[in-house]
Amino acid sequence: MRIGRRSSASARLSILVAVLSVPAFTGVWELVARSGIVNAVLFPPPSTVAVAILEWVRSGQFFADLMASLSRVAAGFAIGAAGGIVLGVLTGRFRLVSSLLSPLFHILRPIPPVAFVPIVILWFGLSETGKLFLVVWGVFFTVWLATHIGVQKVDRGLIRAAQMLGTPQPQMLWEIVLLGALPYITVGLRTAVSISFYTLVAAELAGAFAGIVYRIEIAQQNMQTGQVMGGLAALGLLSFVADRSFAILAERAVWWR
Amino acid sequence: MTPGLLRPDQSLRLVETYPPSAPARQAIIQVEDLSIVFDAPSGQVVAVDRVSLAVAQGEFVSVVGPSGCGKSTLLNAMAGLEQPFEGQVLIAGEAMRAPRPEIGMVFQQPHLFPWKSVRRNIAHGPRALGKPKAEALRIADDLIEMIGLTRFASAYPHTLSGGMQQRVAIARALANQPRVLLMDEPFGALDAQTRAVMQDNLLELRERINATIVFVTHDIDEAILLSDRVLIMSAGPGRILKDLEVSLPRPRSSAIVAEAAYLALKRDCLDLIRSEGRRAFEQMEIKT
Ligand SMILES: Nc1ncnc2c1ncn2[C@@H]1O[C@H](COP(=O)(O)OP(=O)(O)OP(=O)(O)O)[C@@H](O)[C@H]1O
Ligand SMILES: [Mg+2]
Repeated sequence: MRIGRRSSASARLSILVAVLSVPAFTGVWELVARSGIVNAVLFPPPSTVAVAILEWVRSGQFFADLMASLSRVAAGFAIGAAGGIVLGVLTGRFRLVSSLLSPLFHILRPIPPVAFVPIVILWFGLSETGKLFLVVWGVFFTVWLATHIGVQKVDRGLIRAAQMLGTPQPQMLWEIVLLGALPYITVGLRTAVSISFYTLVAAELAGAFAGIVYRIEIAQQNMQTGQVMGGLAALGLLSFVADRSFAILAERAVWWR
Repeated sequence: MTPGLLRPDQSLRLVETYPPSAPARQAIIQVEDLSIVFDAPSGQVVAVDRVSLAVAQGEFVSVVGPSGCGKSTLLNAMAGLEQPFEGQVLIAGEAMRAPRPEIGMVFQQPHLFPWKSVRRNIAHGPRALGKPKAEALRIADDLIEMIGLTRFASAYPHTLSGGMQQRVAIARALANQPRVLLMDEPFGALDAQTRAVMQDNLLELRERINATIVFVTHDIDEAILLSDRVLIMSAGPGRILKDLEVSLPRPRSSAIVAEAAYLALKRDCLDLIRSEGRRAFEQMEIKT
């Protein structure tokens, strides 16, 4: 009984500390930034950052930037993931397709997508196509590999049972194999969510006309450190929300586990 | 066969000649000189060694043998899931090169589609064969009633017990109305009580469907209880030692395993397996 009470007391304490953690650090940051120990232009207090964010939102630019970044990530993710899943099912299921494509994919996959920025600028200039290309590139290989491995790990018994029931090949691929590999695919997709944000950063830094990272870069050139930090906060929040909602979605998708 | 091993009053008859002389009824399954070889890291493994057998239309045949003797491999070859190294498997006169929907299979594990409800699992086969959805679901509903799982029609496999899952797997295999039903230790993973109930269910079921059944088990009781014929396999390389006809009267129920005649019969059967096993072992020693 006493142990129970003590552990519940310590549990309450850790909840309290967790709740106060971010406000406490923000408070310390505010104090340090205002105290004059550091250069307030390079290291502005949170209040300055908050004002910058508010101004960003009020001007209407925030929404435009958000939509620009979000649509790049979403479109790139959708195309890259769809391609990765389709080719992953084919290479995972058919040895000949795998022999044809896997060596190539294994050579290209380890090259960090960010390293493709120069050639993407050569090919596509500063167009949206180039940015889309980078995000698709980053997402594709991760999803492809996860699907490829997942397909090979599909319970053989399940496939044999489906074969015995006369399941036609297309249904075998796009129902039994795909759903059988889904637990692996969702892990790959979730990793790809954060990769799509990394590549977005590279794509927008390479030159854009709108977007959250583009805004951060402009603010940096104008020495608006508050706006830079506001941009980082927005990006962090956005990718956090994307990751969490994907995790919830994935849990629903593989509900039978 | 050792004379005097079985008394004439016993209803178990041992068929000495092998392969058996042409059965009176038309053979639906013909296995001819079948060998199956696997490539393993340690070299080639002969899983099935020149096996020949015939199963007549409507017959219930069990295959018994120790673990690893090639029972599943033999059954998989009948299913078209494993290709012969030598010899052939003919079902209804046609060589098995790939699975055919007229041949149903129940595995040791239920292998139900986890994303489908009981109803949809059972309807999968008819749907795959192009039956309209309504018809497939009607077939499923009839089978669900037969296996007594009406309350669980829309339940998902992971919410069912092992015995219930295996009943669904049997119903799923029956949904395509197979001419041949292959069962690979379907009750092997179940506890003794559930197993007895399932055996009775299968006996009852058998009266209603007219499929030919090949049933793999390593349980002699189960084999004698269910079958018209029991094939005893030797431990690797997989070969058929004996072909025993079981002419116990039907309908049977799992209660007969407690009867004295049955017990005597089983003991003689075990003796046979032991002596044959010993002989096979000695032959092996002489050879090497
Ligand atoms: N895919 C495979 N690759 C290599 N060896 C295999 C393969 N499948 C089976 N074998 C080997 O073939 C032999 C027979 O296996 P099989 O599964 O048919 O035995 P079984 O009689 O069904 O055993 P159990 O009663 O344990 O199910 C074993 O020695 C096994 O190791
Ligand atoms: Mg087996």
